[in-house]
Amino acid sequence: MNEGQRPYGRSRRSSYWPSDTPVPPVRYGFLYALLLVAAATLFCEQLRPYLSPINMVMAYLLVVVLAAVWLGRKPAVASAFLGVLAFDFFFVPPRFSLRISDTEYLFTFLALFIVGIVISSLVARSKERLEALGVRERQTAALYQLSRDLAGAADTPALLEALVGNLGASLKAPVAVFLQRGPQFELAAHSRELPLTPSDREIALWCFRSRRPAGRGSDSFTSSPLSFVPIKALANQLGVLAVRLPDEEDPGGAPMRRLLDACATQAALALERVRLTGEAQQLQILRARENLERALLNSVSHDLRTPLATITGVLTAVLDEGERLSPAARQELLETAREEAGRLNRFVGNLLDMSRLEAGALRPQLELCDVQDLIGCALAAVEKRLGEGRIEVRLAPELPLIPLDLVLMIQVLVNLLDNALKYGPPDGEVEVSCRLADGALLIEVADRGPGVPAADLPKIFDKFYRTPEPEGVGGTGLGLSICRGIVEAHGGGIRAENREGGGLKVIIKVPQAAPARGDEAR
Amino acid sequence: MTGPETSKPNLPRILVIDDEAAIQRFLKAALDTVEFSVHQAMNGHAGLAAAVAVRPDVILLDLGLPDLDGVEVIRRIREWSQVPIIVVSVREREDDKVKALDAGADDYLTKPFGTGELLARIKVALRRSLKQAPEPVLNIGELQVDLPHRRVTVRGEEVQLTPTEYELLRMLATHAGKVLTHSQILKQIWGVAYMEQPHVLRVNVSNLRRKIEADASRPQYLLTEPGVGYRLKSGE
Repeated sequence: MNEGQRPYGRSRRSSYWPSDTPVPPVRYGFLYALLLVAAATLFCEQLRPYLSPINMVMAYLLVVVLAAVWLGRKPAVASAFLGVLAFDFFFVPPRFSLRISDTEYLFTFLALFIVGIVISSLVARSKERLEALGVRERQTAALYQLSRDLAGAADTPALLEALVGNLGASLKAPVAVFLQRGPQFELAAHSRELPLTPSDREIALWCFRSRRPAGRGSDSFTSSPLSFVPIKALANQLGVLAVRLPDEEDPGGAPMRRLLDACATQAALALERVRLTGEAQQLQILRARENLERALLNSVSHDLRTPLATITGVLTAVLDEGERLSPAARQELLETAREEAGRLNRFVGNLLDMSRLEAGALRPQLELCDVQDLIGCALAAVEKRLGEGRIEVRLAPELPLIPLDLVLMIQVLVNLLDNALKYGPPDGEVEVSCRLADGALLIEVADRGPGVPAADLPKIFDKFYRTPEPEGVGGTGLGLSICRGIVEAHGGGIRAENREGGGLKVIIKVPQAAPARGDEAR
Repeated sequence: MTGPETSKPNLPRILVIDDEAAIQRFLKAALDTVEFSVHQAMNGHAGLAAAVAVRPDVILLDLGLPDLDGVEVIRRIREWSQVPIIVVSVREREDDKVKALDAGADDYLTKPFGTGELLARIKVALRRSLKQAPEPVLNIGELQVDLPHRRVTVRGEEVQLTPTEYELLRMLATHAGKVLTHSQILKQIWGVAYMEQPHVLRVNVSNLRRKIEADASRPQYLLTEPGVGYRLKSGE
């Protein structure tokens, strides 16, 4: 057989289509049938001295079988017919004539012809069945690949990309996907090499609304080169899959129809899955926000009511029992009430800051500030309330002016110092230090308290985080998150670490920005 | 809404302009003692009328009035009177305080406040309104500012100041106890051209503190009012 024309060598792994099965074009088939018969004739001629003509029929039967296996049904029938002729002409006496001396041979011809036809049709049918099986297997593999790709896609864009890429490769055809998005029916994704016209969109829309296939291979809009298949989920219509199949494919045929339907179903399932996952996530976010709001309400009602309860208690005690109280007890009560009122006021301030931060309304107004002034203001606010003598300040010499919102940064330091004094041991010292490093101002506030479990360190700046210990130290869980909000609004960062020898150190970093022009001040 | 107290004709008169009944009640109880006579106005227009009728020695003014903005009330009073005005407000926004001070208010207190602090501010204001000429020599704790001799001493030791630092200290000292806004100080000492350059002020304050304060991180005399300005502690 001629190597250059070998009809079977075109198997491609990635092809799934009947057009690629190894059936040579029909006109070559007849030529090969003729060659086979000629070969059988030559063979018989060689063996003529040893064989009776009746046995030569076997050689021609063999040719019919080979033709049926290799060349298909029609060439096999042709080879049976040619075989009869050749046998008659060359070997049945009188030779080289179609006349028959012995009419017995008529029966031989008939048997040879009928057996040839039956064999060829049997062989061809089994071969066709095998081919169909192969096609189906390849389609199954393609669908499997598609469903695997689609399962890996986490969101709609990824899904569409996987869909277009996968179908484009397996169908060897550019595809387009139309989706209904809200009120809009629109082209969601398509292969780059697929030009779409407005009429294609019209057909897609028709296909979407009628829920029936359209375009080539269907009953409607058959002049379109594209085949349209609706993408249907259980209840609703999601979109339309459009494919421009190669010309030799028959989109109307059952295998292709089935395949396109299966692809559309896969796409629909995947789209539904992505939508449901998204909805579930949305729900989770909503629930998390609800939890946060509940925590806020709990915190607010607790932190507002506790001081109010104390103040109310003190006031009623003084009003009702005033005369019976010793002056010392009375003083003690009133001082407690005053402290609680201060706490209430600070809490309300924190709440306001928090809501301003969250609304994005807390924009730092940067002005060049003296760091010592910043520390001084924070110390004044804290020491007025919590007593002096526990805070040690270490300032690097010659610190330049730093662009800060003084009021907000004082708030940060007051919150940090408050915490440090609150969580540290009663006589423990708190250190505040300021220095420059890498073009940024570093402010550190360090205490000798219990520190924070290492795993919780990043969490302490989250809203409503409270340290597990020590118990009974009141806190709103707002202070540090406000600190973070303010520092980040300055373009800086805040973090915490446990100190060697116990205690917590909070480090604030604020960019130094433009060099201070302090020396021109006079 | 005014309640002239004819029974106490010689006591300093304080006019409280505030629409909150509870605050009015509290201030009346806290202030209307043997020291002062308290007059009340529940809104801005009543307050302006009372300022004319009562001729108060000090006005306590809430910025959040129902009919008139507090800053507008300050402007209208300043058109004809230099009576000390102390702003008393829940507003925490520093802008509002600065606006009120620049409009001519003498001082501010953020609600809630203690009566001790309020009394101290009222006394500072009264002193200024009663005797116009400042003391030639101011004693604030261990800090002494001798204006005629341009001499500043801390614990008896003379402190060398640059001319700018001295001007700054003199300005704060002659308004001791009163908060001065950044723009008020900048305008008087450096001139209008420096209004937008508050850092020159910060550097001078920082230098001044290093010379007069024992611990510049815990200033006792020259106090910062964050976002508003500076105040030199009052002598008493």
